[in-house]
Amino acid sequence: MKNLFFATAFALSAMSGIAGNVYAACGSVSIAEMNWASAQLMANVDKIILKDGYGCDVSIVPGDTMPTFTSMNEKGAPDVAGELWINAVANPLAKAKSEGRLHTVSEGPISGLGEGWWLLPHTMKKHPELKTVLDVLKRPDLFPHPEDASKGGFHTCPSGWGCQLANNNLFRAFEMEKKGWRLVDPGSAAGLDASISKAADRNQNWFGYYWNPTSIVGKYGLTMLDFGVPFGGKENWDGCIVKPEQECANPKPSAWTKSEVHTVITDSFKKRVGPVGDYFAKRIFPGPVMNAMLAWMGDQQATGEDAAIEFLSKHPDIWTQWVSADAAKKVKSKL
Amino acid sequence: MELFEEFPEMGRSDQRDFKKAIDAGFRNFSRTYGESLESFFDPLLQFMIWFEKLLINSPWPLVLIVIGLLAWLGSRSLILVGGTLACFVVIGYFGMWENTMATLAIISVATFICIGVGIPLGIWMAKSNRVQAAITPILDVMQTIPSFVYLIPVVMLLGIGKVPGLIAVCIYAVPPIVRLTNLGIRLVDEEVLEAADSFGANYKQRLFGIQIPLALPNIFAGVNQTIMMALAMVVIASMIGVRGLGVPVLQAVSNQYLALGLMNGLAIVAIAIIFDRVSQKYGERLQSYRKGHNND
Repeated sequence: MKNLFFATAFALSAMSGIAGNVYAACGSVSIAEMNWASAQLMANVDKIILKDGYGCDVSIVPGDTMPTFTSMNEKGAPDVAGELWINAVANPLAKAKSEGRLHTVSEGPISGLGEGWWLLPHTMKKHPELKTVLDVLKRPDLFPHPEDASKGGFHTCPSGWGCQLANNNLFRAFEMEKKGWRLVDPGSAAGLDASISKAADRNQNWFGYYWNPTSIVGKYGLTMLDFGVPFGGKENWDGCIVKPEQECANPKPSAWTKSEVHTVITDSFKKRVGPVGDYFAKRIFPGPVMNAMLAWMGDQQATGEDAAIEFLSKHPDIWTQWVSADAAKKVKSKL
Repeated sequence: MELFEEFPEMGRSDQRDFKKAIDAGFRNFSRTYGESLESFFDPLLQFMIWFEKLLINSPWPLVLIVIGLLAWLGSRSLILVGGTLACFVVIGYFGMWENTMATLAIISVATFICIGVGIPLGIWMAKSNRVQAAITPILDVMQTIPSFVYLIPVVMLLGIGKVPGLIAVCIYAVPPIVRLTNLGIRLVDEEVLEAADSFGANYKQRLFGIQIPLALPNIFAGVNQTIMMALAMVVIASMIGVRGLGVPVLQAVSNQYLALGLMNGLAIVAIAIIFDRVSQKYGERLQSYRKGHNND
């Protein structure tokens, strides 16, 4: 028994010794893999490039906007959040940045993304008059609420997400209740997705909140509507629309604010990144390429890792711009 | 050598085609039968909407009186009635009345459905070994399969809201009552049954006169487990758009509102304990002849 113990201890120390030597250049990095497809693709691309290109010891940590941000802010781990939607965490993130705990290394890792209110393509084809949100609001009869067919159903953002407040305040701002609408709370992202799939598969109409880039948008060709009103100003948005209902007595109609997505890293990672640092700043996925990748993921039922390999082998023209020539060669040789 | 290092798995493209075929099959099923399934469940949906509205829109003193009355009819215990009313008053005082009523609505419907389906199923299982062998693995699946695996297909079939929520709650909550009814009846003493047979009791008399009364302690343990598991599913159900105490719990979880989460969580616990104590007292009263026998 004692021998076995020593043997195990020896084996373990030998293994960690080897690992330590190989990865000394970069050290260990933990990357948050958010639970939606584009972030999973991005996290796995980062993983492969950091691991094969720069010799880091990379681990992937599952996450979600709020829990991951909180953990990075409070505990300094994981090290990297590739696709952090900062509208939901704007104030605490500003504070963390000013106190030097977190750093933004890229202010737009994917081009052409955004949140808004969407329709399915077959609805737009059948009702070409529905060009803006204002047009849709006149026709609650086209979008019957699941529990009360006499009202229109607007699919809001899942409970507890930051966007729920904004959607519900816009619901009041556009006086949708008076116009014959009721909110449908989908409960979770999976519930929201399933409600879209159901409507698309059965040629039913669907109206609600969603965001891009996502595989659902790619798969069903969801179209983001113009709100028909301009952006109602920063004061209205930041001071009212994103606040709880009791702090937002008079919301004004407004188009959705420009969504900001950052790649955020922790301070401790910033101090030890070395040559990896400017990789994150250069890494910008073009929107159409990202949507095509997401649709591919949906079709192939691929995981983030499969998609990352597919992306790296299909689009070397894009990602080789992000890394040093040496790192590019190393990554290519491992593919 | 390679054979032993890598598990010989199905080819990637075969596997993909296999998964795609299942998904396409489900989509076709949903397109063909979705509409009629939805209209099949529509009366249930309308009833649940009506029941929830009734609970929410009735004046709260009236609801309290009815709840107190039901607790009295079930338990005949003033302490329990007092405790029940106190719980609901505290819940209402902390602003959780509407959500509690919504949860109460779906949970009472779910509990009645589970008991109504579960006890007959348990009796059937007790009667035949073959039925028991067939149903037991199904119950295992129902209890262990992660709920989202079947929730999302159900939502794609029936849409967001109460009916998929009810189905999810029942799938998870029905197994204990089935298992314990079956067990209780099987545990009834052979000799007692022999005695019944020698008096010429027929199947019905044996079942309702002897087996079920003697199995009651187990059956009520099953009722208890069913209620507890139904309430544990409240949060999961709210992830597909069921109103109730689960919604603020979800909000609390994703925003680290500790107090909000704890308050709503405790309200779920309070409802569970009330449901359970009242039903257990009712069960005890049904078996009161045992006590009488012991006291002789």
